[in-house]
Amino acid sequence: MALQGNSNPALRVIELVKVYPSRRGRPEVRAVNGMSFEVGRGEIFGLLGPNGAGKTTTLKILTTLLTPTSGKAEVVGFDVVAQPLDVRRSIAIVLQETAVELFLTTRDNLVTFGKFHGQSLAAARRRADSVIEKFQLTEHAHQKVQDLSGGLRRRVQVAKMFMVETPVMFLDEFSTGMDPILKRAVMGYLREEARRGRTIVLTTQIMTEAEELCDNILIMHRGKAIAQGDLNTLKLLAKDVYDVTLTFEKLSPTLTSELAALHPLRLAIDHNTVEMTLKAEESRVLAAITGLAARARLLHVEVSGPSLEDIFVDLTKE
Amino acid sequence: MPRRAPSGATEPVRGLEAILYREAKIRFTNYAWMFWDVLYPLGYLLIFGVGINYAMGSPLPTMDIDYNEFFLGGVLAMASFGIASNTAWGFFLDRDNGIFYEMLTYPLSRAAYLAGKVSFNVLLALVQAGVTVGMSALILDVKLRPTLLPWMLFGVVVGTAGWFFFSAIFALRIRRNDVFNTVISIFYFLFLFASSMFYPLEPLPGWFQRMALANPITWQVDLLRYGTVGLAPSYLTLEILAFVAFTLAAFYSGVRTLSQRS
Repeated sequence: MALQGNSNPALRVIELVKVYPSRRGRPEVRAVNGMSFEVGRGEIFGLLGPNGAGKTTTLKILTTLLTPTSGKAEVVGFDVVAQPLDVRRSIAIVLQETAVELFLTTRDNLVTFGKFHGQSLAAARRRADSVIEKFQLTEHAHQKVQDLSGGLRRRVQVAKMFMVETPVMFLDEFSTGMDPILKRAVMGYLREEARRGRTIVLTTQIMTEAEELCDNILIMHRGKAIAQGDLNTLKLLAKDVYDVTLTFEKLSPTLTSELAALHPLRLAIDHNTVEMTLKAEESRVLAAITGLAARARLLHVEVSGPSLEDIFVDLTKE
Repeated sequence: MPRRAPSGATEPVRGLEAILYREAKIRFTNYAWMFWDVLYPLGYLLIFGVGINYAMGSPLPTMDIDYNEFFLGGVLAMASFGIASNTAWGFFLDRDNGIFYEMLTYPLSRAAYLAGKVSFNVLLALVQAGVTVGMSALILDVKLRPTLLPWMLFGVVVGTAGWFFFSAIFALRIRRNDVFNTVISIFYFLFLFASSMFYPLEPLPGWFQRMALANPITWQVDLLRYGTVGLAPSYLTLEILAFVAFTLAAFYSGVRTLSQRS
């Protein structure tokens, strides 16, 4: 399937709603509540939100595992309800749960995945061998997956995405259980795939991951899209949010209450270092730092713009 | 025109091939599966069947066959039921570890997915039936009726499909492992013992006979007994029709459950 050369968006979601009906006395749940967004081809798209925001439900609709209550969703121009098979031909997915064939070896997991996506046995085996090498799974290639650790199982699961050339790839919390070195390598592979025109949709709770990878980020809250754009656009939404790091020679006994009075969005104290996120005008932030410096000697001061995590907390706080 | 997959095969064929490949890899690279699928019912025939045969001989004085011949049809039905419940357990495990949901995102319709699974089960049951029937003729000197063997094959194919769809409904609906195991164990006990699998129904009390005659495994056992040694009750045609209807109903419910649960 051609990866490039089509001006249609990879994903188009219009007024999407998913309501889980009430069951056994529990009230109905409106998991997705009128979401609309578009994702261009070759983009790395981050779907972020706190637990229960509706990310996984949205992903399940886009991958034909759930049907929407109303609204429309298209993957590379195919409607998820009317053309589910065409959608499935265009996607590969890493689910949140570690989905692997426990009774098969690592290599057979990859070969079987390739065969399900239409590859001949010989082609699937060839590709599996190169993917095994890429994911440093050579010594586990002939081990049954049920005998592998959780982290290795996850690695096998993510490796499957590189067995196929589907135009869209969905990754739900892909880095869970991965060591930092492999995670960095996989992030590199994902960028490479995006450069080749593959669209990558990922959900994650790790903001630095999204910050590093995503060209386009959508923040969901209570089933709705509350912000979308690239990192710089989102930073504009969180104007007057500052990350402040202060290292004191010695912490004063009244410091905790003084810091609390500043109503920080985030506050962490480790030894003599205070890290906090403040939402206030620049002059007020500087005045607050000056006030704190008057009470105890400051060894280090750092003030920076908001991180994605600050923006996320700011936008989704109750 | 059917769409062609990158392998060159048409898509439905390729989907079926992929499922058969997966199932074969899982079942034939695991000794535990092999034992339960292929050898367990044969063991029943060779140990339990031979024991009863020596101790009691013919199951009824009016019957001109020994217990091994009588029991062969029951063992074949037990194999169909066992293979289907093993696959249902596999279904349950697949759902528990997430691969089931991933498979539902593969380029495959829900019906093709079930068709692939049932085809593998049927092939496995035919292999198992071949081994059991062959061994019973060779070791136990069971006198088979070759002209009736197509009925035996029909009973194995329809039976395995029926029990597979029936078990799949429960594997897809039940979420807890302990509940699933309990349900399957109860089914195993009720279906197998409240039937004509181990003993003829004639000497049994009326209530037991009625219960056994309402049990689909009795319908399958009677068909398989006819297809192997030619022994059949007068109402066999009715049983065959009922069993085909049971299989079709189970298929319909299975596809419906799969569509609802995904």
